[in-house]
Amino acid sequence: MFSKRAFFSTVVVLTLVLTVLGACGPAGTPPPPKGGTFIFGRGGDSVQLDPAIVTDGESFRVTGQCLEPLYQYDKGSTRPIPALATECTPNANATEWTCKLRQGVKFHDGTPFNADAVIFNFERWRFTTNPYHYPSQVFEYYEAMWGGFDDDSLITKIEKLDDYTVKFVLKEPLAPFLANLAMDMFAISSPEAIKKCGEKYGMPECGCVGTGPFKFKEWVTGDHITVVANDEYWGGRPNIDAIVWKVIPDDSARFLALKSGDIHALEQATREDVLSALSDPNLYVLARPALNTAYLAFNYKIVEFQDKRVREAVAHAINRQAIVENFYGKYGEVATNFLPPMVWGHNPDIQDWTYDPELSKRLLAEAGFPNGLSEVTIAEDLKDKEGNVVYKAGEKIPLRLYYMPVTRFYYPSPKQIAEAMAADLAKANINVTLELAGDWPTYLGLRRTGLLVGLYMLGWGGDNGDPDNFHGYFFGGLSSPDEVKKPDPREGWYANQQVATLCYQALVNPNQAERERIYKQIEQILHDDVARIWVAHNNTPLIFSKKVSGYVPQPVGADYYEWVAIQP
Amino acid sequence: MFQYIVRRLISLIPTLLGVTVVVFLFLRLIPGDPAVAMLGEHASEENVARIREQLGFNRPLFLDVEALQRGDLAGLFDSQYFRFLGRLLQGDLGSSVHYRRPVADDLKQRFPATVELTVFAMLVAIVVGVPVGIISAAKRNSLLDSVSMIGALAGVSMPIFWLGLMEIMLFAVFLKILPFGGRLDSSIYLEVRTNFYLIDSLITGNMPALGDSLKHLILPSLALGTIPMAIIARMTRSSMLDVLQQDYIRTARAKGLREQAVLFKHALRNALLPVVTIVGLQTGILLSGAILTETIFAWPGIGKWIYDAIAGRDYPIVQGGTLVIAFVFVMINLLVDISYAFLDPRIHYE
Repeated sequence: MFSKRAFFSTVVVLTLVLTVLGACGPAGTPPPPKGGTFIFGRGGDSVQLDPAIVTDGESFRVTGQCLEPLYQYDKGSTRPIPALATECTPNANATEWTCKLRQGVKFHDGTPFNADAVIFNFERWRFTTNPYHYPSQVFEYYEAMWGGFDDDSLITKIEKLDDYTVKFVLKEPLAPFLANLAMDMFAISSPEAIKKCGEKYGMPECGCVGTGPFKFKEWVTGDHITVVANDEYWGGRPNIDAIVWKVIPDDSARFLALKSGDIHALEQATREDVLSALSDPNLYVLARPALNTAYLAFNYKIVEFQDKRVREAVAHAINRQAIVENFYGKYGEVATNFLPPMVWGHNPDIQDWTYDPELSKRLLAEAGFPNGLSEVTIAEDLKDKEGNVVYKAGEKIPLRLYYMPVTRFYYPSPKQIAEAMAADLAKANINVTLELAGDWPTYLGLRRTGLLVGLYMLGWGGDNGDPDNFHGYFFGGLSSPDEVKKPDPREGWYANQQVATLCYQALVNPNQAERERIYKQIEQILHDDVARIWVAHNNTPLIFSKKVSGYVPQPVGADYYEWVAIQP
Repeated sequence: MFQYIVRRLISLIPTLLGVTVVVFLFLRLIPGDPAVAMLGEHASEENVARIREQLGFNRPLFLDVEALQRGDLAGLFDSQYFRFLGRLLQGDLGSSVHYRRPVADDLKQRFPATVELTVFAMLVAIVVGVPVGIISAAKRNSLLDSVSMIGALAGVSMPIFWLGLMEIMLFAVFLKILPFGGRLDSSIYLEVRTNFYLIDSLITGNMPALGDSLKHLILPSLALGTIPMAIIARMTRSSMLDVLQQDYIRTARAKGLREQAVLFKHALRNALLPVVTIVGLQTGILLSGAILTETIFAWPGIGKWIYDAIAGRDYPIVQGGTLVIAFVFVMINLLVDISYAFLDPRIHYE
């Protein structure tokens, strides 16, 4: 028999041994719970679930879970990493990219993923004569990112080297090749599903068929979309059994649904709701890293704005720090560049415009407006899209500040921000008339034709994290280094030959270090020219129930849901 | 009566044609390009032009006069309106510019949702509004009358969005006894056949879905039914008061009939005529005007759908949705007219 002392000694020793063994285990924390349905509240429905033909974030939010591109973006960043390709390597001058494909992967319909599937998808997007490139569909992103369709396409050929190797042949070097490849819209769909569904692929009755961690299950339009875990996912089965994206159009009702436990997470919260969530013990807030810039643009067909001193006066008159503090809260940051700080090419050495109304007044006086500015002059005839003259050269009009009629992620409260800007400008004797040009399509239409005649608010959210997607899209557009940059009505008639040429040089240069130097130079030129006033970058808040863990918001591309876990 | 109904149904054709012309014209008077709205803020000019052509928005609105000048008579009608009308005659409402799928597909799903909500809201309005109106009239100038009418006034004046959010706050967030919105919990499977969830639940014998659909209907029906409830209560009261002063009511009372018999057998039937008219009009209004309720309660009906379509210049949705609403509106009013004959034997349709 053991004595009492021996028994207690044994217990103590065993306890210590078990404790030490426990501490030496593979992880100190318990594994995440498995199973459950993750319900995400959102403001609007998806347009279609064929990512190649849509441009809206609500569609990509879903397709990004069911389909995968050859590359994807690393967790929380814009760095392209392999996905359905295991590697893509360029030749010496980056005009050919050879991609090795992941083997043993199957689409959700059981058909194999291989080189034929990749070629089928790219040819469908590229060739307008392809039987699955329907005239009713717009493959807008293929055209924008790969230079155009058919013979205009930068990808001139895709060769199948073997079942799991393809070679992309390009017309000329394209530096953002991998960043483009990782975009949601270039995710690979099952060729069999496209053939079977035809034009209905991506519609509620067909959904989408890819290789992703979740499989499409159901779409009740205007209500919800459900996807279920893919048990055979090559990256391992997700923790949760299903995701439901529930449409709740009203911001306040969406937040109340989260508080009532009907949903687990939401995006597009009002500032008040975010503040309320921060103090709620059952909720927490994550921020989507900012890949966006809100700006104030000048219309260069206004004589006064052609004088850089006037533009500088406007820049110094607006208290952007106060705007960010009041309207973006802790999730906003003052923009000093067009490129957000998370994008390489952002130039941290730029000396930002100070808030200095007195300096603004002096600059205005130097420019010939000692009594301030409240009226401006049209530089030349401005016509609408039918060719009718809307504003005549020499016509005097009030100085207008056009504000957006809708909230966008880069401008959370456009009207209120415009009012704050107007108040700031008035302190520098720049008296603007706030102008609501109409609803959003009208606003965009006027912007497209260069008819927002004054200062106007707009912004940009990046598509792939490459600087060209900011600089090249707005200020580039040359097809050769010798081409003359024409004033672009969509960009307030702004044209800067030096910037446009640099954009072209950076686009075809495969050396990232050199590209980074060029983009920093572009930022400095735009700043020195006061081309536009960069206002803010917004890290969009997402609110979660504390039952949820493991959600990774992405600055671009699909958020990662496969590590999401829900406490019962 | 039969001839009257046929006549009314025939008169539906010019009415609906008129609706198509008005909707068509007014939609295109609003500035903004559907192709730009569809493609977004950074679409290329080439894409915008291509989409305009594909969707026929580059065609003349009503008549192609240039074609006529060329001597092409058939080309005169190759316009946006006549293309729409041609498709409509073949039962095709066109495809949504934004969602790029047939309008009819979405209508089949969304219209039953709106009808289900409207019917329940009107039931709430009638079941509460009519008795309140009768009691108020019978107990004229009493405390009960004053309280009922102040309640009705408050009901008419209450903003739906505020009322809806308060309902969600109380019943979904604090008491947690009712869902905040939507039509059915996503964990419940329902085999959809008609898109009327209550009917589908009954057809398929799915009792959990029936119970859950009913639970989901309570809060939005209350919010949507409040204003018509108040209007019906006030209308019933004033109509009853009017009837109760008539000679035949005095005669009935002089004959020694019980007050209940006077109220319900003699007064109510005659007082209901204007109430039925209001019910008909309100039902039509709710069918097309449940935008706020649908938005707050995440109800996937046609109100918010058409509203968003107007904002996005999605002409086919607005045209198709409006046409269906106009058709139902006219049909409801026909039913109201027919019901007059049953309520008042003096009315005959020839």
